[in-house]
Amino acid sequence: MTGYILSRVLRATLTMLVTVTLVFLFIRLSGDPAAALVPPDAPQEVIDQYARLMGLDQPLWQQYLGYVGGLLQGNFGFSIHTGIAVEDTFLGRLPFTLHLGITALALAVFIGIPIGALAAIRRGTALDRFVMGFSVFAFAMPNFLFGLVMILVAALAFSTFLGGENANVIWPALTLGLAAMGSFARFTRSSVLETINAPYMRAAEARGVPFGRRLVRHAAPNAAIPLVTLIGLSLGALVAGSVVTEQVFAWPGVGQLLVRSVATRDLAQVQFLVLVVAFTMVMANLIVDMLYLVIDPRIRAK
Amino acid sequence: MTFRSLMAVTFLAGALAMPAAAQDRPDMVIAVDNLWPTMDPVIGISTTGARVHSNVFDTLVRRNRWEDPDGTELVPWLAESWQQLSPLVWEFTLRDGVPFHDGHIMDAEDVAFSLSAERLWGEEPLAPRGTRYTRGFVRVEATGPLTVEVETSFPDPNLPFRMVTPIGFVLPQHYYEEVGTEAFGQMPMGTGPYRMTAFDPSVAVDAVAFDYYWAGEPPAATLRFEIVPEFSTRFAGLVAGEYDVVVSVPADQVDALEGTEGVTVMEKGIENYPMFAFNMLETEALPDNPLTDVNLRRAIVAGVDREAIAAAIWGEATFVPTPFNFPEYGDYYEADRERAVPFDPEQAAEYLAASDYDGEELIWHITRGFYPNYEIAAEFMVEQWAEIGINVRIELKDNFSLAYERPFHFLNMSMSSEFSGDPYRPLWMDWGPESSRFRASHRTWDMTEEFVRLGEAFEQAQEFEDRYQAYLDLVAEWERVTPGMYMWRNVVSYAINENLQWDPGNSAVTIFDHLYMTGYDE
Repeated sequence: MTGYILSRVLRATLTMLVTVTLVFLFIRLSGDPAAALVPPDAPQEVIDQYARLMGLDQPLWQQYLGYVGGLLQGNFGFSIHTGIAVEDTFLGRLPFTLHLGITALALAVFIGIPIGALAAIRRGTALDRFVMGFSVFAFAMPNFLFGLVMILVAALAFSTFLGGENANVIWPALTLGLAAMGSFARFTRSSVLETINAPYMRAAEARGVPFGRRLVRHAAPNAAIPLVTLIGLSLGALVAGSVVTEQVFAWPGVGQLLVRSVATRDLAQVQFLVLVVAFTMVMANLIVDMLYLVIDPRIRAK
Repeated sequence: MTFRSLMAVTFLAGALAMPAAAQDRPDMVIAVDNLWPTMDPVIGISTTGARVHSNVFDTLVRRNRWEDPDGTELVPWLAESWQQLSPLVWEFTLRDGVPFHDGHIMDAEDVAFSLSAERLWGEEPLAPRGTRYTRGFVRVEATGPLTVEVETSFPDPNLPFRMVTPIGFVLPQHYYEEVGTEAFGQMPMGTGPYRMTAFDPSVAVDAVAFDYYWAGEPPAATLRFEIVPEFSTRFAGLVAGEYDVVVSVPADQVDALEGTEGVTVMEKGIENYPMFAFNMLETEALPDNPLTDVNLRRAIVAGVDREAIAAAIWGEATFVPTPFNFPEYGDYYEADRERAVPFDPEQAAEYLAASDYDGEELIWHITRGFYPNYEIAAEFMVEQWAEIGINVRIELKDNFSLAYERPFHFLNMSMSSEFSGDPYRPLWMDWGPESSRFRASHRTWDMTEEFVRLGEAFEQAQEFEDRYQAYLDLVAEWERVTPGMYMWRNVVSYAINENLQWDPGNSAVTIFDHLYMTGYDE
């Protein structure tokens, strides 16, 4: 078991290191960041002054060492525009994104999983077909399109505006969580179907265990294993999706900050945000791996 | 206690007992696509910054767009008057008793600081992006409590026009020096109609009416410039009554919006002309450049029907200019001047036959999405050129520094026609010896000797008649060489609540003072 944990932690660390390096390189390869700060017809002296300000006049390896060294000391850098420590700006936005992301995940889990289970139990009925139809729609619908349609219909038909930071979080959360909701429903259905037909379920039925107890005690833990993986993976989709959803709803979260920072070539800010996203993903995967230990005795036994 | 600090104390005492300002003023929300990350009016020179600047700051001199959309008339603003003391020295006399948002009274020291070498034009200045407006500055000095002198190394009969540009904004020296450059950009202070209260560069700017504004009561109680990146969302917010003004209506949606109840759409031609430059140089990346041949360049210009393309894309909103002949240029503008190389397919074929061009591919670097409708027009043009045997390929680039990487044959660009009293800026500054066309790593041409000679004559001419003739000669030489091609006058668009009486004139700058915003019916 220790080997299992160690290998997972090592993998996570390596992923972070590769990410740090790639982020550093890609930002510098996609056009001169100093030139992006000045008007297109600015004289070279002005571009050079900005390059010095941003430390871009040093050799690449020196910049890289300085950057990684800073990271190790917890120094993530300062925004070139605002002079504010990048983590402070990030922390200011985090509550918005957490609020949105957690609501979206909650919607996906608390709607997607029950309707999927329901569809499995009522297999072959109209309800089953409706749930499956919905889940295909939910999964296939691009979230920006769904969000835009919702915003426009609300404005034109009901004179209500669903965007901006004062809007109810439920609308962007629904947009963000829709795809996950669809895939949770489908996976729950197939997972539950698999387990309720398993021999131990028939054995439990033969022992006279009541239906509800069979479902909760026997079917649910076994059906949960693929779902935990799926929820872990969908965290990534939620993080990526929040960039789009926040743009569409003008929701002032981390996603919008990321887009703005890329557009204004705010190197330190972009680097930090990408690292945080990567860290979130790596941690989510790590936690899923650890959860397996809890819910799957076979892995524990290895 | 000096007189000025006495004024400040009196002012602050007054501010505590805030006057009962009109209670029925609206809270305005302007939905913008972006905000520049700093609100220092020079470091933040940009369309997205300029929408905010004039609401917080005042310039020394202002252009009157509330009566004349092109604003060719100069209006005394923080400077009450100005005079040329000698060919090289101008003196500005300031308005007395104008308060900054903290109550300090503006004086000549503030103006001298705002225009100083330290801030704008010295070595490693605090705000380096303003150098294009400070060309030739050698001395800026407060010569009295309310007088400032500006001396240039060459005679500039149009110097006051520079005080309309972002360098003309007056900043409070005491506050700037107290907080520093970066912090000033995050919470700027000026003498303008609105006082900034909050700024988050990726969310919004918030400001409240400054009721001690010297020029008149601000017509809105509060202003909020909110970033709403997606146009459909801006539009929905406008329809739902959440936003009062939204910017940047996509050109293809103007018609649809005009039919929406409660919404007024405005399209304004602004002082900026998208174009492309021909790369006329043979470089390592482009050893056999066919565009060194003027006949090919002319064939390209004569072979494309720009009027038809502009009309198909923009309708009535814009036009194709004769080079350097812009309606915002007052006496220099001549409505019926013709282009030297007009659309003429037969003439284009003759030019082409006279060139050595044998159909090799010409690459057009275009910065994706930077100039509205540019890519669409480019596709039309490529097809028209293909018909006469000129083979152009568009390469979209994600930003300018990528677009500037050679090899390319055509380079997208735009020329600002910002009125500086004469066509000096787009002609001589943007194509002359100091221009990026000639000097930058992405330079595209070598000036002809004739161009240099005529340009120097233009620069030295002091009287209007001489300068006008020199201008015509210089334009003729530019057209003879044909180093580029204009597309159209750029257009900005706004959709506003139909109850709002506000018109920005032909400008991308949005100002919500009592001159531009005259009412809001509920």
